Amino acid sequence: MSKESRSAPRPAEPDQALALEMRPGILSDQLLLDPRPVGDMNRYIMEAMQRTGKGFWILVAILASLVLIGYGGAWGYQVRWGMGVAGIRRPVFWGLYIANFVFWIGISHSGTFISAVLRVFKAEFRRPITRGSEMMTTFSLIVAGLFPLIHLGRTWRFYWMIPYFNQRQLWPNFHSPLMWDMMAIFTYLTGSTLYLYLPLIPDMAMARNITTGWRKRVYGTLALGWRGSESEWHHLKTAIKIFAFVIMPVMFSVHTIVSWDFGMTLVEGWHSTIFGPYFVTGAIFSGVSAVITVLLIVRKTMKLDYFLRPEHFDALGKLILVFSFAWTYFWFAEFITEWYGGEPVISALIHMQARGPVAVLWYTMLFFNIVVPWSTLWNRRIRRSTTAMLLITIGINIGMYLERYIIVATFLTKGRMPFNWGIYNPSIVELLISIGALSLFALLYVVASRLIPLVPVWEVQEGQLSHSLRPIGRALVPSVVDLE
Amino acid sequence: MGKKISRRKFLKVGATAGATAALVAGCSSDLRPYRRSLEPPLRSPEEALPGEAVWYASTCGQCPSGCGIVVRVIEGRARKIEGNPEHPLNRGRLCARGQAGLQALYNPDRFPSPVRQSSRGSRDFQAVYWDDALDLLAGKLKEADPQSVAFLGGVMSDNLFDLASRFMKGTGAAPPVVFDLLSALEGRTTLAAASKALFGVPALPVFDVGQAEVVFSFGANFLETWLSPVYYGRSFGNMRRGRLRGRGYLVQFEPRMSMTAASADEWVPVKPGTEGLVAQAIGKIVAERRKAANVAGLYKDVVVGDVADASGVSAEQLGKLARIFDTVDHALAIPGGALAGRNNGLEATLAVQALNVVAGNLGQPGGLSLSPDVPSESLVTASVPASYADVQALIERMKAGQVQVLMVHGANPVFELPKASGFREALGQVPFVVSFAPFADETAVQADLVLPDHTYLESWGYRLVAAGGDRPVVSAQQPAVQPLYDTRSTAEVLLNLAQRLGGSAAKALPWKSVREHLQSAIGPLQALPGGNLHAASTDAFIEEWQSHGGWWTTQEKSGAPGASKEVLSSTLVVPNADFAGDAQKFPFHLLPYPSILLSDGRGANQPFLQEAPDPMTTVAWNNWVEINPKTAAKLKVTTGDIVKVTSPQGEIELSVYVYPGIRPDTVAIPVGQGHSDYGRFAQGRGSNVMDLLAPLTEKAGGALAWAATRVKITPTGRKATPMLARTESAEGVERGFRDAENPG
Amino acid sequence: MSSPTENHHWTMIIDLDRCTGCQACVVACHVENNVTYVGEEEVAMGRFMHWLLIQRYWGGEYPNMQARFSPIPCQQCKEAPCEPVCPVYATYHSEQEMLNIQVYNRCIGVRFCANNCPYKVRVFNWFNPQNPEPLDQMLNPDVTVRSRGVIEKCTFCIHRIRRAEEDARYEGRPVRDGEVQPACVQACPPEAFVFGDRNDPESRVAKMAESRRGFRLLDDVGTVPEVVYLKRGVTDVEGI
Repeated sequence: MSKESRSAPRPAEPDQALALEMRPGILSDQLLLDPRPVGDMNRYIMEAMQRTGKGFWILVAILASLVLIGYGGAWGYQVRWGMGVAGIRRPVFWGLYIANFVFWIGISHSGTFISAVLRVFKAEFRRPITRGSEMMTTFSLIVAGLFPLIHLGRTWRFYWMIPYFNQRQLWPNFHSPLMWDMMAIFTYLTGSTLYLYLPLIPDMAMARNITTGWRKRVYGTLALGWRGSESEWHHLKTAIKIFAFVIMPVMFSVHTIVSWDFGMTLVEGWHSTIFGPYFVTGAIFSGVSAVITVLLIVRKTMKLDYFLRPEHFDALGKLILVFSFAWTYFWFAEFITEWYGGEPVISALIHMQARGPVAVLWYTMLFFNIVVPWSTLWNRRIRRSTTAMLLITIGINIGMYLERYIIVATFLTKGRMPFNWGIYNPSIVELLISIGALSLFALLYVVASRLIPLVPVWEVQEGQLSHSLRPIGRALVPSVVDLE
Repeated sequence: MGKKISRRKFLKVGATAGATAALVAGCSSDLRPYRRSLEPPLRSPEEALPGEAVWYASTCGQCPSGCGIVVRVIEGRARKIEGNPEHPLNRGRLCARGQAGLQALYNPDRFPSPVRQSSRGSRDFQAVYWDDALDLLAGKLKEADPQSVAFLGGVMSDNLFDLASRFMKGTGAAPPVVFDLLSALEGRTTLAAASKALFGVPALPVFDVGQAEVVFSFGANFLETWLSPVYYGRSFGNMRRGRLRGRGYLVQFEPRMSMTAASADEWVPVKPGTEGLVAQAIGKIVAERRKAANVAGLYKDVVVGDVADASGVSAEQLGKLARIFDTVDHALAIPGGALAGRNNGLEATLAVQALNVVAGNLGQPGGLSLSPDVPSESLVTASVPASYADVQALIERMKAGQVQVLMVHGANPVFELPKASGFREALGQVPFVVSFAPFADETAVQADLVLPDHTYLESWGYRLVAAGGDRPVVSAQQPAVQPLYDTRSTAEVLLNLAQRLGGSAAKALPWKSVREHLQSAIGPLQALPGGNLHAASTDAFIEEWQSHGGWWTTQEKSGAPGASKEVLSSTLVVPNADFAGDAQKFPFHLLPYPSILLSDGRGANQPFLQEAPDPMTTVAWNNWVEINPKTAAKLKVTTGDIVKVTSPQGEIELSVYVYPGIRPDTVAIPVGQGHSDYGRFAQGRGSNVMDLLAPLTEKAGGALAWAATRVKITPTGRKATPMLARTESAEGVERGFRDAENPG
Repeated sequence: MSSPTENHHWTMIIDLDRCTGCQACVVACHVENNVTYVGEEEVAMGRFMHWLLIQRYWGGEYPNMQARFSPIPCQQCKEAPCEPVCPVYATYHSEQEMLNIQVYNRCIGVRFCANNCPYKVRVFNWFNPQNPEPLDQMLNPDVTVRSRGVIEKCTFCIHRIRRAEEDARYEGRPVRDGEVQPACVQACPPEAFVFGDRNDPESRVAKMAESRRGFRLLDDVGTVPEVVYLKRGVTDVEGI
């Protein structure tokens, strides 16, 4: 195969032998400087995919039942009896469902950001993690996209939001931010799925070549007859490059439009011009953190430590630190202007966050989103510690979830007419559906992890080919050849 | 689309339709088991055109005031009740209770047929046939000594009162005792007694609030439940923005800020029991300013400083209020409500009425007049009910075993009388109890036989408007729909019983049908001058009467009272009010008040009335005890906490509502909840404040002194579950007053 | 079509000086518009369905207390914030009446309108309405019974407006002032509500809307409500 010849194992060069002598740890430290025979790598990834032990099936069973309870049980119950089984009430007409929706849309920003932005800027550490994060985008979008349906009072009429020809010539209302939302999400889902699929083609071909039976047939179909010719590579790379540029504005638009569901309203606390960038920043912040969480789990359970190394988490850790700064900046800018304005209802909202019933959530959010990242992620050792990173990133997502919850649910409790103020507590139905959503995401990911190579082997190989160590004087310097 | 007819034509259509319905209702006396089937279109009555509304004029039966209503009926079903625009009492307006009347008619907890109960309180109701039930009752009546038969009535149409009176007289029994809690809370008997003392006529007073410039209301919550809230609500609107005079000024004197006080320009929280004293002090100052000789004797013993000390209203404020009352030409004082609910009620009422004498407004526009006389001798009215003393006498007779058969109609004494009155125990001494209640209320549950009456939207009748009428009004009541169930109007039952009993009873009730009796009662009105109806024959007159909703004079015509010189020249002493319970042990005055929605508990089975929030507290579906914020802080309780309210007579548990508009030494509880029966919407909500009341009476007139009990409050440490349901946001309203006046 | 139904400007005046807070309007609205009741627990949750809510605000401290009532129906905003946000056009401005319409059978229940309403007058059917037999017999056939999952709100009793317009058209005359009365206006004992066509310069509402006491609720939000409130006045009787 041409691909194999392209990435044939290179004999250890004398320079590298010298390098080994000089800094013994360096080869095992960096993936791109630690090449393995390509057959080994392929086998490595395929074996990880086909390892389905008892634990795996138990996990699938648990997740599947949680999904069933959430969507089949709780949602079915809600559809049967009415929205009243949820905890929402006047004046909090939107609650946990919309908070979940915003949160999962936020998670979906991970893949695109890591894959497209880092690809465009040629950040080399992206190579083994693009696939895993792109999959998160697609799956979290599916989970997120279900929430507006769950949230509908008459779910069975959801298709009225879709512009389709009908005899009454009724069209959806394109003035509504919800319509923009729906279009943005559909575009993003389509785009990100394609963007997931394109780099997958060579890996599908690789899997087709290695596997047998039904898998071979499936992978063969999905590989679209990929042979690895020069022109195929050329077209693929061009397509990926175009997509990388196109998907970026879509990604930014999606969460901006989601933020406009709030920003465009007259609701005190929502009506803010900064919500667009604030939401996007938060989305990338939580998305990248979620990528770290997921990859850490994947690395541990699928034994992918060869591909996923501390260096990647180190780099991603820096990224989330930067986004923590950015998020803090937007949060503070929003907070300080609202606070300084002293408008009565806003003051009541701020009071509610700082001292009222929401205070616990609000301080937890600030702790996880600001205090923890700022005080830990500057430290290289912490960034490289898998346990620490797992805890920090889970914390960030808790913080970001609380942020969504506070904005969606608690800002609605106080409006312009004080007589109408209210409270909101999620009901068991809402919680079950939220747990079901998390389980659905996990289930999709777990199942996909056994069907799709979680690491784009060809990208890693490509990176390894372009990286080498060269001694300059007594120092060994990694050198990179730009292949594009 | 069919041609639309004007309202007036609707009413006329209503007349013919009414006649048709009469025919149908007249035939309904045969056994007709409850059945639920669609009438084939061929047989549907003429007026039941699909999609077309028919309007029947009638009279509201939700409270004793007797507003005119028109009922919108489509396809044989009543859909909406509206005020009758022609009716002089309410002029097309209607209160919340009147609006909800359809839920009395279509209440899912009505008795579908007469029932017997194997043992009282078992709620094991066995349906019986009307014939058997009437035979049973007739048999019991024949067996019993006529002296031992008693009839306890409540809110009833006046034709029924007439028939019941005649029936009792015909059988040789004592006349019916009419008592309902709402009338007691209004102080009707005391008002009438005061009129008797001051003006020589035991009539209810009528206050022309609409044309007054200054109104001093002493406890009369005339915008809520008092006498005729729709009439007074209309008048209030006119007083505020009437074209006749400037914007009127209303001052409310009462310990708790009622909805009326909230609408007032000034609320004076006087000490409970001193309202009469305050009225006297104001009267004295005004009389002195005006140098009024005719009332000089009245205020001889009044010392303003003493009144200020007793009432908690400073002498300065009294002077200021008196100046306001004195300055204007049209000042008016209204006595009512809790003022009459104490043992000095009559004197206090007289003191307030004397203010009207001082103001010189008797019979004047914007002044006090008396409700008009009964226009024809053929009519009888029960507008002034029996006093509580009469009820006590009945209870004593029951306890002594002197009552063999007790018939209860339109009242729910087990619920409405103070527990301490012993009615419940006395009922146990009565061998045979008959209830005419359409619903399984607390009294019906204690009855042996229930002969369910129609609701007021299914029955015939008339009602004399006594309270709030500026002219004589004989309001018509006709069925808007066919009876829903196998119920029978009590009037018809009495006629039937009289036939079964024969003898003097049959002679006393010679009419064959309710309608015949109505004709004999209403017919003579045709001859009276100045009426609104013009018809060639008696039948046509009756039809006109029904289609217009009643007979009344076209000109205002109410009694201009002349005050008795004797009363005015002799000193009027308002004695100190006595309160049951030791002031040390029971530190708070208890102020029960009728709920604007549930009135005396009658509305509790109508879900719209339960769902509508109380205007002041915004609480729905429950009741509560109102406590001043400072008192609540001292007791360490807050809204939603459950407390035990204990009086010398009993104790109940209730949720607290921290109420900024109440005196710190007073707690208030709305009447109306705490039903143990009365259907799914009423049962098991809150507690009945009547359980706490001491059975005190007003000294002179014998009315129930219902605002003269002291209580103590003990926190239980529990919270209400579910949470006290209210529409307000507690947090929000504390900051929001500015926004209500001028939002934004 | 040159019909007398064109060019109406339906306006409601609510005189806070007359309003006593008595709830007659609330119950009248329930009966007229088939607004269901929800029971104690749901009311406690804030899920009551009143299309018209009388808000009560406290002011001052004992003994100088005040309580004020303001009945809040749908304000029928000219620039209604609820309309643009509905994704399915379930709420829009009717061309004929120029009122804010809620189309129950188009509503899918996203509740965006309810969030965006600054007056919070939109209510949502959390469950199916309760009408245990025979209470269902009192339902008004002119008004749809709403199922679970849709938003509803005050319509200014548009079915009554339509009926009056039809009557007028049939008789070939313009709609008379005071001919249209929503249920709340009709019931109100102290006549705190006045309803009419502001385009008719002789109508009561046209005159009252010019009152110096007049104001609109949350005027600064820019919703341009069609409900004009007249604030409470002080007495002008000489000598007080």
